[in-house]
This record gives sequence, structure tokens and C-alpha cells, in this order.
Amino acid sequence: MAEYILDVKGLKTFYRTRLKENVYAVDGVDLHLKEGRVLGIAGESGCGKSTLATSLMGFYFPPLHYGSGQIVLDGTDIMSIPYETLRKNFLGTEIAYIPQAAMNALNQTRKVSKFVVDILKEHRPDLSKEQMLNLAREKFEFLNLPERVLSAYPSELSGGMKQRTVIALSTLLNPKVLIADEPSSALDVSSQKIVISMLKKMMKEGYVKSMIFITHELPLLRHVADDIVVMYAGELVEEGTTEQVIFDPIHPYTHALMGSIIVPEDGMKAHKLTAIPGAPPNLKRVPPGCRFRDRCAYAREECARDARVGITRFGPENSRYHRCVFSEEQLRAWYGEEKRRFGIGGGAK
Amino acid sequence: MKGYLKYCSRKLGWYIFTFVIALMLNFFLPRLIPGNPVSLILGEMSAGMTDTDKYFKIYNEYMENFGLNLPLWRQFLRFVVNMFHGDLGRSFNLYPRTVTSLIADRLPYTLAIQLPAILIGWIIGNLLGAVAAYRKGVFDKVIFPVSLLISSIPSFILSFVLLFTLSMTVKVFPTGNAYAYDILPSYVTLFGFLKLPTWKFFSSLIYHWTLPFLSSVLVMIGGQAIGMRSMSLYELNADYVLYAKLLGIRDRKIVRYVFRNAVLPQITGLASSIGGAVGGALIVETVFSYPGIGMLINLSIRNVDYTLLSGCTLMTSACVLAANFLVELVYGVLDPRVRSAHSEEG
Repeated sequence: MAEYILDVKGLKTFYRTRLKENVYAVDGVDLHLKEGRVLGIAGESGCGKSTLATSLMGFYFPPLHYGSGQIVLDGTDIMSIPYETLRKNFLGTEIAYIPQAAMNALNQTRKVSKFVVDILKEHRPDLSKEQMLNLAREKFEFLNLPERVLSAYPSELSGGMKQRTVIALSTLLNPKVLIADEPSSALDVSSQKIVISMLKKMMKEGYVKSMIFITHELPLLRHVADDIVVMYAGELVEEGTTEQVIFDPIHPYTHALMGSIIVPEDGMKAHKLTAIPGAPPNLKRVPPGCRFRDRCAYAREECARDARVGITRFGPENSRYHRCVFSEEQLRAWYGEEKRRFGIGGGAK
Repeated sequence: MKGYLKYCSRKLGWYIFTFVIALMLNFFLPRLIPGNPVSLILGEMSAGMTDTDKYFKIYNEYMENFGLNLPLWRQFLRFVVNMFHGDLGRSFNLYPRTVTSLIADRLPYTLAIQLPAILIGWIIGNLLGAVAAYRKGVFDKVIFPVSLLISSIPSFILSFVLLFTLSMTVKVFPTGNAYAYDILPSYVTLFGFLKLPTWKFFSSLIYHWTLPFLSSVLVMIGGQAIGMRSMSLYELNADYVLYAKLLGIRDRKIVRYVFRNAVLPQITGLASSIGGAVGGALIVETVFSYPGIGMLINLSIRNVDYTLLSGCTLMTSACVLAANFLVELVYGVLDPRVRSAHSEEG
């Protein structure tokens, strides 16, 4: 039994454009996921979150390509095994994926029951058709889905039901790692809540051993994740527990991100919301140095000094890290000063 | 199943309605062409005739025979009643041949070209389009531009090009007609009911059939390949493909999902191409002097032959409607969305 159920080291993946340019959407990512934990990946649109999600499955098809790095899933580096083995023994069984757009994730002209059989025929050909359907019925019942969903076409289901159906299909074989890519972003608030509580329940019952939850909605992560990593322009810029990252952000980007959140709590009206100016850098030509420096309120000359900014560990037992040129103390001093001057502060210009 | 029957009956209702409209258009439009066919016939017959009384007597008799002395709406009623008895009247120009016998003579020639052209063209076109989308690379770089080129050449130009190169320059194929001048249609009867052309006649038929068939089928292949290619590309990039792949479903199965969905709009295309085939037949048969329905329509327009023209267009519109109806029935089976949308609204 490895220490981590999922251990990603230096993963680099890129999109190749028609003009043969490589765009590194995931640029040297290290991730560690322990059994029983939920890891949240946060970041704004276009930072590479969804690419990271599909990349973690170890399966690439154009225009996405694998660059370098390891993805060790429960002791096996899934990048070093042949594709057929990966497909048969890992995809959908050991590691499963819940797509962002559940609305379109199901083939409109195939009944749900037939799709269930298609999936299970790949991984459990020993089961009879009835056993396969029973496996699905069990999951459907757990997710409060009526049995008629099995004999329905996707077009006959509501959005929330489709999303839960997708969850049921992804977890049919109790995967060790479940990667949920914004599973609730297209739903209304109440369906969202149902989906989130379902996912948590699945963790609790042990149907899913660990989960990676990707979203741009930070308040949501607070309810779901145990740990959070923040992603910016293809890199992870900060890691810590949920409490640490949300209430004590260190990296200027995380700091700014937290300042731009609307939380329905008392005294929020008095809060000055700050947006982060500018846009993330073009990943085709990443400027040397800190990738956030053009948008950062604390940027100095030093920020462009090195080709890449490394991580700095800090916090209790060095359990956290940030990817900023400046030290934790220096950043905290700046934040404190800003707070004194403007009340609550964001980290933006 | 109940939903499907409802879907079918609703569709049938609409098709009957459309047929009535088509029937009226088929009847009235030709009769709005200026000119009187009886005068045209008599003009030829009465050459050298001096007795005007006799002339008018013949004229009136013809008018009565054809029912042209009646008001237009009564002619229409007579036409509809006769139609249900399988009688579409007599041709003016080829008097006393009946319209139905003329159509029965010519129809096999048109069907022999258009049916295989549509079916083979549809199948080959869709296969090529699917391969181009799926294999990409060289396949796509060759199939796509060639299809685009062929389908954007007007069919009469393509026919002329084939005619000029293959039968006038290289002289591999004949320039026209359905069989050679020196051959009489001859048949053998098998098992007492199966009437088949003799080998000599049949080989002459095939030899004359090749070029008009080629020019019809090439256009069809090109158009279908382009449509299928873009539909397949769209479906290959759909979210469900990624999801199915990440669930570990094998490629072969996913490809089947994709092409089943991509072919749905192509089935609609098949229905509409049956309508287009009528126009295609007119041009191809005229270029190759091929004795099919297209030539017959051409002939009847030139001679203001109301009854023959109405008969031909009525027959083709009935065929097009029937083909469309069949396609919609198939579509209802293949696409659950269509079925549910219709059963709910009714």
C-alpha cells in the first residue's frame, strides 16, 4: 500500500495547435492524494483545471498530448503501461471521471441501460446482463434516482437527473479515485446541493475512496474539500488545507482570489469586493519569472529574475507551499499593512 | 410503441394534406400555360384542309373528348375521380396513347438510373465521409476536396464532360439512347411470369445505362460525403465521446455511437435527394437522350401536353412524398428525440 493513492510528479501536458505550437496547459504539476481525502483544485477559467482533470486519467487524444511526468495510481505508474491495459483495468474502474457538462455527456440515442451494459462489458465481462443492471440499480437507488431512468433515453431526463445518472455511471465499479470536473456548475443551487451531498455520501459509504474536486467556485470547495490547491496558468501556486487556503491565503493570487468572492454572510455589504485586473498570460509564450506578476499588486523587479519561480514550503511541519518569490513573512507584512490602510484588502492592483 | 403509432398517424395526416396541395398544383399549373393544345394538334392535322365548318366540328369534338369545354373546376373534379380509377387521361400530343401507359413505358428507365444512383451514392458517400472524418490525414485531404469539386459542378456540366470525354473523345460509351438502334427490345419469360430481357438486349441496355448512371451517382456521392464528413467531425468532438472513452469503452463501440448519430441527418438528406433526383433525371436524360420520365416531362412541356405533364409531375410528387414518409417512419425508430417530441405535443 503506497502512502498516496494518487501521486502525480512533474506532470506536463500540452495542446498542439494546427500550426504545431505547443501550449502547455498543465506545466509541471505535483499532486498527492491520500485515501479518504477530497482534494479541491481551484482556479479561474482557462487556468488548466479541466485539462488537468482529463490529464490525470492518463489518457490523451489529440489535440491534447502527454509531455512528461508520472501519474502513480495506487502503486502503478499509469503512464508507463500500454493503453489497452489502462483502458481495461483502470479507466472507469480504478479512476473515474465526472465531466463538466453532464448535459451532453450521454449519448442521446442510447438508452441508459444499454450504456450501463456497454461500460460493464469492458470491465466485468463475467457478469450477466441482469447482474450488470442490478449493479446500476443499486447505485441509482443510492442516488435517489427512480428505476425508470434505466429504461429512459438521456433526452427524457432533467438536468439534475442527468448529472446524478452520470455520477452513478462513473461510480458503478467503486473507483479508488474519482475526478469531478465542476460537476455542479451547470445546475441550479438546489440541484447543486443535492449533487454535492451525494458525492459526500459516496465518500462516507466507501463507494469512492478519494476524490479530486475541480471548481472555480471557492465557497463550494469549503464544503467539499479537505485540502485545496490553487492553479494559475498551468501551475499550482499554493497548497494547504481548506481552512488554511480559504482563511489564510499566502500567495498573492490566492489572496486576491479570496478578496473577489461574494459570501452571503453578515457584514458582506460593507466588504469592498476587488476584482483581479487583467487576464492570465498566453500559455503559448509564457513570460519568464512569476506568471502572475503582471496582475500582482506586490510585483517587484525580483519577480522576473528567475526563469521559473520554485515553491517555498512553510506552515506547521512544512505542510503548505506557495510559489512566490517573496517569503511568507514578507507577504504577511504587506497584507497587514494593506488591511490597516483600506480595511479588508484584496491583493490586486 | 403507442407513442410510435401516434407519431406515424400524425405524420400520415400531414402527408395526405401535402398530397392534396400537390395534386392541385399539378393540375392547375400546367393549365395556366398559355396556348391551346387542341389547336396545336389540329394545326398539324388540318394542313391543307379548306372546310372551316369541318375544322370547327373536329375542334369541338376534341374539346369535348378532352373535357376542355368544361369550366376548370369541373375538369379538376373529373381528373380527381378518374385518378382514383387509375386513369390519368390521354396525351394530347401522343394521342391516343394514355398517360398511364406512357409513364409505364418510361418509368423503368428512370428508376433503373435513379434508384441505384441514390442508394449506391448515399452508401458510398456516407462511408467516404465517415472515413475522411475518422481517419483524417491523407484520407481527408483527398476525399474532401474531390467531393467538394464533384458536388459543386452542376450536373448538366458533369454529364457533358462525361459525354465529351468518354463517348466522343475516347468513344468507350455510346452518346445516347437506352439501347442500340439495331436492336429490338426482346424478352424471355421464365417460370411463366418472370419477363426478362434477352442477353443481347440486356447487355445493350447496360452499355447505354452506364454514363447517365455515372453522372447521377457521382453528384450524389460528392454531396453525401461532404455532409457526412462534417456531421461525423461534429459528433467525434461531442462530450459524450470523451466521457465514454474515459469510462474505458473501446474505440470500436464509440465509433459506432458516433456514426449512428452522424447518419441521422443524412437520412433526411436521403429523402430530400429523392426529390432532387427528379430534376437530376430531367437533365441527365435530356443530355443522354435517355427515354425516361425526365424526357417525357421535357417533351410534354414543349407540346403544352397538359394531361401528360400533370400525370408525370403527379407521379413524381407521389413518389417523393411516399419516400419522405418512409424516411420519417425510419427516423422515428432511430431517433428517440424525434419520437418523444412528437408524441408529447399531440
